Amino acid sequence: QLSEPIATIQAVNWKTQGSPSDHLTIGHNLSTPGPDLTTQEFKQATKENVSNVTFVEYEVLLPGECAPSTSMEKNITLDSAARIELSCKLDNKHSYLKSLQVTWKRGNETISHITKTENSWSIQLSILDSSKLGSYSCTLKACTSYLTFSYFALVPKIEGKEKPIISYEGDTAVLTCESSGYTPIAWTWYMTNGTEQIAINDSLLADKYVINRKSANTTHLKIQKLTKEDDGAYWCEAAFELGKSKGKLKLKVLSFMVPLKPFLAIVAEAVTLVTVVLLYEIYSKKKEKRA
Amino acid sequence: PSPASVGRAPGPPDGGWGWAVVFGAFISIGFAYAFPKGIAIFYKEIQDFFGTSYSEIAWVSSIMLATTYGAGPISSILVNRYGSRPVVIFGGLLCGVGMVSAAFCTSILQLYICVGFVTGFGLALNLQPSVIIIGKYFLKRRPIANGLAMAGSPVMLCTLAPLNQFLFDNFGWRGSFLILGAILLHCCVAGALFRPIGAATASGKTPTIEEGKEIPKEEVTKDAMEMSNPTNVPMENKTEEEGGKDCCEKINQYLDFSLFKHRGFLIYLIGNVLMFLGFFAPIVFLAPYAKHIGIDEYSAAFLLSILAIVDMIARPTTGIIANSKWVRPRIQYFFSFSIAFNGACHLLCPLASGYTGLVVYSIFFGLAFGMVCAMLFETLMDLVGAARFTSAVGLVTIAECCTILLGPPIGGTLIDTFGDYKYMFIKCGAVMVLAGTFLFIMNYYNYRMLAKEEKERKAKEEDPKSVRTENEGRNNWNKETAQDGPELEPLREEQEGLKKEVNGT
Repeated sequence: QLSEPIATIQAVNWKTQGSPSDHLTIGHNLSTPGPDLTTQEFKQATKENVSNVTFVEYEVLLPGECAPSTSMEKNITLDSAARIELSCKLDNKHSYLKSLQVTWKRGNETISHITKTENSWSIQLSILDSSKLGSYSCTLKACTSYLTFSYFALVPKIEGKEKPIISYEGDTAVLTCESSGYTPIAWTWYMTNGTEQIAINDSLLADKYVINRKSANTTHLKIQKLTKEDDGAYWCEAAFELGKSKGKLKLKVLSFMVPLKPFLAIVAEAVTLVTVVLLYEIYSKKKEKRA
Repeated sequence: PSPASVGRAPGPPDGGWGWAVVFGAFISIGFAYAFPKGIAIFYKEIQDFFGTSYSEIAWVSSIMLATTYGAGPISSILVNRYGSRPVVIFGGLLCGVGMVSAAFCTSILQLYICVGFVTGFGLALNLQPSVIIIGKYFLKRRPIANGLAMAGSPVMLCTLAPLNQFLFDNFGWRGSFLILGAILLHCCVAGALFRPIGAATASGKTPTIEEGKEIPKEEVTKDAMEMSNPTNVPMENKTEEEGGKDCCEKINQYLDFSLFKHRGFLIYLIGNVLMFLGFFAPIVFLAPYAKHIGIDEYSAAFLLSILAIVDMIARPTTGIIANSKWVRPRIQYFFSFSIAFNGACHLLCPLASGYTGLVVYSIFFGLAFGMVCAMLFETLMDLVGAARFTSAVGLVTIAECCTILLGPPIGGTLIDTFGDYKYMFIKCGAVMVLAGTFLFIMNYYNYRMLAKEEKERKAKEEDPKSVRTENEGRNNWNKETAQDGPELEPLREEQEGLKKEVNGT
């Protein structure tokens, strides 16, 4: 029995302009890393009848060995249609374990069309619409244990803001949403009315709401003449080729009395201190004169 | 109150109410230095609100800093005229008004004016008088007092940063500005503590006898000489003399331009102006540099906290060291050494690899930064004497204003051109080592010249026949020493005679 553990997982990815994915962190190493996989070449997208195709390769190196069952997951974030090749590749050292069983599954369905080379098993996917998103997993069966490596193809996630944005009655508030690195096709803003989410139409209420797309990746919602009713949750939704994603922001509308109270308290305190200091000075001068 | 009615022993108190004054100066100086940096937390929100770029917002801090330093001479003139207390209280009120009006701003231009100019001017009226009044209350323990007062800057920064974050989370930027306006009114409290005191020494001769062992004699005799200089005599004597002066002397009464002939002052001015070119840029770029070499945001911010904490401890410690009998007579050398040490830190920074290296750098940088800041005003006081310090600090700050503002942008340009932070560190380090070396050499020359003049003065004083020839001798000396403006010469000689009779204790 060899002393090395069952798998070294290294994921290598290549990027083209503006496409997947930085969610792919460089692997969880179960053991000492195997040799870097630089032998795989990056293949340029060939022209197909799919627009905005990008080609990315993700790989898993599996030196076959007997070990406990493990599974690992990775996210692939796609903002537009892409053609992906996913492959499970055996580390050359252990290529004697040809009796390995490798299956690729989409969710729970087995994928039949697997391209097999001497020590790799791969599938090719064309992710053209949201129906193709989901999990794809490669399961390696060696001895009696399984090693599963899953990829989740998903749309980019929009981060909202944790802390509420504070503004005042009668003032203007600007809510910002950003999609890091990915360019959505369109942005929509929603406000919450009770439990419903209502889209904000800025042409209808032009003096109240102004939606401005500041740059490719950011959007601003300007709400003017704030009232207490504008307080609440807002959603910014980014539409991508493959689906939509929402981020939540909170707006808090305060009346001007709220900061005024601490302000007056602190002013009163400062005035008191000044008076105390000056009175003490007068008092000590009088004491000196008497002495 | 006239000097005679001060019931204390002649000479600065060096304690007693002086420590309350130090506390007031601590607060004032703390606000003046820390406030422009502290409000940077609000910039992202304000930037989104007004829809401007980051550089347009950053101008607010630059204008504030520029006004705080640039309004130095005005501050000095006002202190010369009215004394420290009214100026600081007015400054505090101005800061408060500035920030409160900023809370109601509707454009970025209004922010420039309210936060930048008005508050900046208010802070200028806080900074200079605080430093000046320390010189009036302390002589023997002045370096300690200076070190403690200057420690206000890092302490305030460490307090303001989380406070501003808290205010922002609860009140948004408008509410925060309102409340900060109220907080700045505490500068008025600091001002109330600045009880007016007579001239630094009521009689120049007594300290020589009492404290001559501890204080370098050249400094005391300098004070004595300047005490008899009419431009710095307390108010009640001015009205007598005003009739006999021309316009140059009137200007000099408010702002002593004759300082530009003072050798020590010029040395200090050139050295410091050079130093400030490389002083602030590393702080501004430390966090971005850390992020650039792959450190996460919180650890990068923590580096600045380490810097501030070390700074906080270094300043009073430096004050104590500078006050010791070995260092005090040679304080200029200590100052030059700290500047060069600071420069050396920056030069070595590019060699720091990884987070540990940067932590070590931050510690040494904090130490060096604290040392320089603690002695920044102390050395100026040491060179020109407490009496002329009022004008000196104003003139120095307006000159430093330009290089302070130029430093970070030049560093930024270097970073953008070469794409590498190390050239910025090398530039800052080189400039500061150069400034330190310059100050060291020139102060060595200055000390020797002062020793020589001291010897010559003693020789003349002992020779009674030379009183008349003193005029000529002094006129010759003035080209070298240039401690007093030549236009004051004839008047001063008359006054000298009068004063010796009046003060003759």
